[in-house]
Amino acid sequence: MPITYAPAGKTGKWDGAMDWLQMLSGAGLILFMWCHMILVSSVVVSPGVMNAIAEFFEVTFMAQVGGPLVFLLFLTHFVLAARKIPFRAEGQKTLWQHARMLRHGDTWLWVIQAVSAMIILIMGAIHMWVVLTDLPITAVKSAARVQSGFWAVFYLILLPLVELHVGIGFYRIAVKWGFVKDADRAKFKRGENLLTLMFIAIGLITLLRFLFLSVN
Amino acid sequence: MQTIYTDLLVVGAGLAGERAAVEAADAGFSAICLSLVPARRSHSSAAQGGMQASLGNSVMGEGDCPDIHFADTVKGSDWGCDQEVARLFADTAPIEMRRLAHWGVPWNRVVAGKSVYYKGGKKFEKVETLEKEGLIMARSFGGTAKWRTCYTSDGTGHAVMCTMDNRCAQVGVDVHDKTEAIALIHDGETCYGVVARCLRTGELRVYLSKATMIAAGGFGRIYPNTTNAVICDGGAHTMCVASGVVPMGNMEAVQFHPTGIVPTDILVTEGCRGDGGTLLDVNERRFMDKYEPEKAELASRDVVSRWMTHHMREGFGVKSPYGEHLWLDIRHLGEEHITGKLREVYEICTSFLGVDPIHQLIPVRPTQHYSMGGVRTDRDGAAYGLKGLFAAGEAACWDMHGFNRLGGNSLAETVVAGGIVGKKIAEFLEGCETEFKTSLINDAVKRQQARIDALIEGKSGGENVYRVRAAMQDALNKGANIFRTQQGLEECVATLQDTLIRARNVGLRSNGKGVNPELAAALKLEGQVKMALMVAYGALRRTESRGSHNREDFPARNDRDWLNRTLAYWKKESDTLPTLEYEPATQVVEIPPGDRGYGHSQIISADSKKD
Amino acid sequence: MSRLLKFNIFRYNPQDKSSRPRTEEFVLEETDSMTLFIALNRIREEQDASLQFDFCCRAGICGSCGMVINGRPGLACHTKTRDLPGEITLLPLPIFELVGDLSVDTGSWFREMYTRTESWIHTEKAFDPAALEERMDNKDAVAIYELERCVECGCCVAACATARMREDFLGAAGLNRVARFLIDPRDQRTDNDYYEIIGNDMGIFGCMGLLACEDVCPKHLPLQNQLGFLRRKMGITSLKRLFRK
Repeated sequence: MPITYAPAGKTGKWDGAMDWLQMLSGAGLILFMWCHMILVSSVVVSPGVMNAIAEFFEVTFMAQVGGPLVFLLFLTHFVLAARKIPFRAEGQKTLWQHARMLRHGDTWLWVIQAVSAMIILIMGAIHMWVVLTDLPITAVKSAARVQSGFWAVFYLILLPLVELHVGIGFYRIAVKWGFVKDADRAKFKRGENLLTLMFIAIGLITLLRFLFLSVN
Repeated sequence: MQTIYTDLLVVGAGLAGERAAVEAADAGFSAICLSLVPARRSHSSAAQGGMQASLGNSVMGEGDCPDIHFADTVKGSDWGCDQEVARLFADTAPIEMRRLAHWGVPWNRVVAGKSVYYKGGKKFEKVETLEKEGLIMARSFGGTAKWRTCYTSDGTGHAVMCTMDNRCAQVGVDVHDKTEAIALIHDGETCYGVVARCLRTGELRVYLSKATMIAAGGFGRIYPNTTNAVICDGGAHTMCVASGVVPMGNMEAVQFHPTGIVPTDILVTEGCRGDGGTLLDVNERRFMDKYEPEKAELASRDVVSRWMTHHMREGFGVKSPYGEHLWLDIRHLGEEHITGKLREVYEICTSFLGVDPIHQLIPVRPTQHYSMGGVRTDRDGAAYGLKGLFAAGEAACWDMHGFNRLGGNSLAETVVAGGIVGKKIAEFLEGCETEFKTSLINDAVKRQQARIDALIEGKSGGENVYRVRAAMQDALNKGANIFRTQQGLEECVATLQDTLIRARNVGLRSNGKGVNPELAAALKLEGQVKMALMVAYGALRRTESRGSHNREDFPARNDRDWLNRTLAYWKKESDTLPTLEYEPATQVVEIPPGDRGYGHSQIISADSKKD
Repeated sequence: MSRLLKFNIFRYNPQDKSSRPRTEEFVLEETDSMTLFIALNRIREEQDASLQFDFCCRAGICGSCGMVINGRPGLACHTKTRDLPGEITLLPLPIFELVGDLSVDTGSWFREMYTRTESWIHTEKAFDPAALEERMDNKDAVAIYELERCVECGCCVAACATARMREDFLGAAGLNRVARFLIDPRDQRTDNDYYEIIGNDMGIFGCMGLLACEDVCPKHLPLQNQLGFLRRKMGITSLKRLFRK
């Protein structure tokens, strides 16, 4: 009897490389986001510290060169990872049905990742455009933006989405590549969830600090 | 109507069938296996314990050889086996195990050095030699002189089944799964293939072949409590019974396994006792060591089952809503052993009973387990009565098991017999030419279609297929169980004769469209009742006790009158009883009948005079 | 007092033109130690003789009875009703072709998988009946058996989001099969050979790491570890292949 589940013998010359790149770009962005968090949250300590760090990036040209590079990494990561996301209605329906039927934590996490990716693509790009076209970064400029009202809401949406995406991505890389084994998966997941919550909390505190920072 | 031609058609895709098909394919013939389920789900895969072969690699099997294996097998059979076949089996088994290793079976291997094992609840030490390290290991099993059972953890059947099915995929043996053969195409002399029902669509299909092989396993499902899979319903046997010319051998020889769990009748492996598990009664005391001081829990299956039933009758059974049972105790083997070597057992207990065998006792009772009887064949696997028809494995009565088969011998038989019979089939196919008469084929198909239509329309009556089936199972359970008496068997036969009439009056309640399960059950029911009658009537006529056939009114093994094999035919459709004929148990006698060394049986010797 | 269990069972007979996909309700009184095997057979024998479902060994070792039980793919035979709520919804496994009601065709899918993965030992050596078997470390044998325990029930495939979205995905069962041969010293295939089979998005790189396979596997196979192992192994092989030229 003929079976037609799959065309046999098609090797993916680039599939391996793209999988590497997807993972490495993701890992790079995770690292960047952690550094980013250190930079902006330093405002909680004092605006002066934040300014100092920002100036360091400025003087070493890391902001001018690194900024666009991160933007490129951001786009690359999106394009690579989006290969796995269904863009046709039929695929989306199947996936949605599947997730609802299965009621499986990690499958829902992936749905969150995919949905947040779409929003982050737009909001993240806007954020980067605004920041990179108005260098240098200073605490006062950031505060002024946050205090303008619209931007506060903007960041209140972007912040948790990014942190979720980063957190899930971190967990996913670890289990997918087998850096974390089955016996440690539950523990690692709990740790990662805690870390995500912590980052969201720090982010919120930072936003509050910007909100109440004297702009004058 | 789809018609498919092949050189070799195998009904069944378990180990015996696939092994034979591989042999035919290797010789350049086309081979197709029909199976109710995907091949790897065959009941072969459920055999946990292992395969007996006298490799003698373990220090506990030192000095083992085919001669000792042969002797164990003949004794185990209570001298009911064909000794020529048992010899062929014992000699070939070691080579077959090595062949399987070559094909990919991950046999457990000898690890040099000290290790502990348990026997009868006591701890012993053994030292494996460096010289044998990495060779195929063996474990202990009931009824054997040496550690001889090759194994992979306790999923031996599953592992070998995977390898065999892989081999089939490799050499191009086709498996048509979800296909049920329902009738042989034959002219009373030669078999030309089968009419089959597709279990994906419900349509009929014709398979034509030069050689047809029955390798569909046992028929335990004619009993209510059996360790057999639900597919082991004797469906393929019913085709042979219906031919009128193919006899069933030794149908009364039915084995009960000592350790089926209660209530689900799932088997826990003999390996439990082999590794040192003990049987306890209601007072949580051992009893097998009192009945069998020498072998205790490791005596052969029929002996252990019989003493268990005896002990429960003496009032030492544990009462439960599902009837009485005893306990199996493996707690002292420890967590590592139970979750390692006996993991399947551990999983069965926790998943199906909610019992943790590391800390709790397992409820067990003797349960129907193996059919020594089946399609009678000669030593080449050719069935009596029809040219071009072969059989192997549990489905067949090749007859190396006689009236009792040893643990690990049947799983080994599947591949050994499959290989030997497969080779003989290839020889048969060489230079064999067949003519297929279309009228014969059309008649066979029409007859089956008429049966189906009659069942759907309820032409013969409105008997409920499941109730009639239950009546058959119940009758066998009452009358043809471990202990048998004339009165019980007479009642059983009478009830079954009545059930046969009811089976002929079955009508479907559902519409019978597509892959209708009620229709599948109804199609084989009449044949099953005929087989049940072969079991009961054969047991009634056999006025002796031999192996698993225990007549309370005739406790002695009678070599003077009954050193023979029952051949049961259903000669005419209108018959109400099978026709029984007898042939000598064996032509070649290497070991004359004697004492088994266990079982305490009286023996009426062949030389003694008639009363 | 025993519960009255309510079963919502998917019904559809593709061979019956008047049949439409629907859910039918059956009520059954729960008994001690009841499993879905016992329950479904009782429903068939007492209430609807046409109900289709697959059981074989009914002991959790053959993998026939995979179905979606209250949302999760699992083996019906070892699902005890006492572990379930009073309302039980049963669906056939997705992805596999429906035969009828709860019965699906896993056989064709897996047979295709054997062909794609060439699920057999590849060796140049011929079997010599007169020779001793080749020696093997018992640890290797145990490790191979650990992966060979797969019963091909199809639960991992049915639970896999990737498999739901692309039907050419090999699934955890197929990838596990490759891992089984990869660690077998008797198989002479190289990493490069295995890359030809699974070094693509239909194979290991299609896996998104959602691990539903690991979480539903009724045999508790170490699928997560195997998938990770294969991803690293094939990842490295892909780099070697790119830079060797």
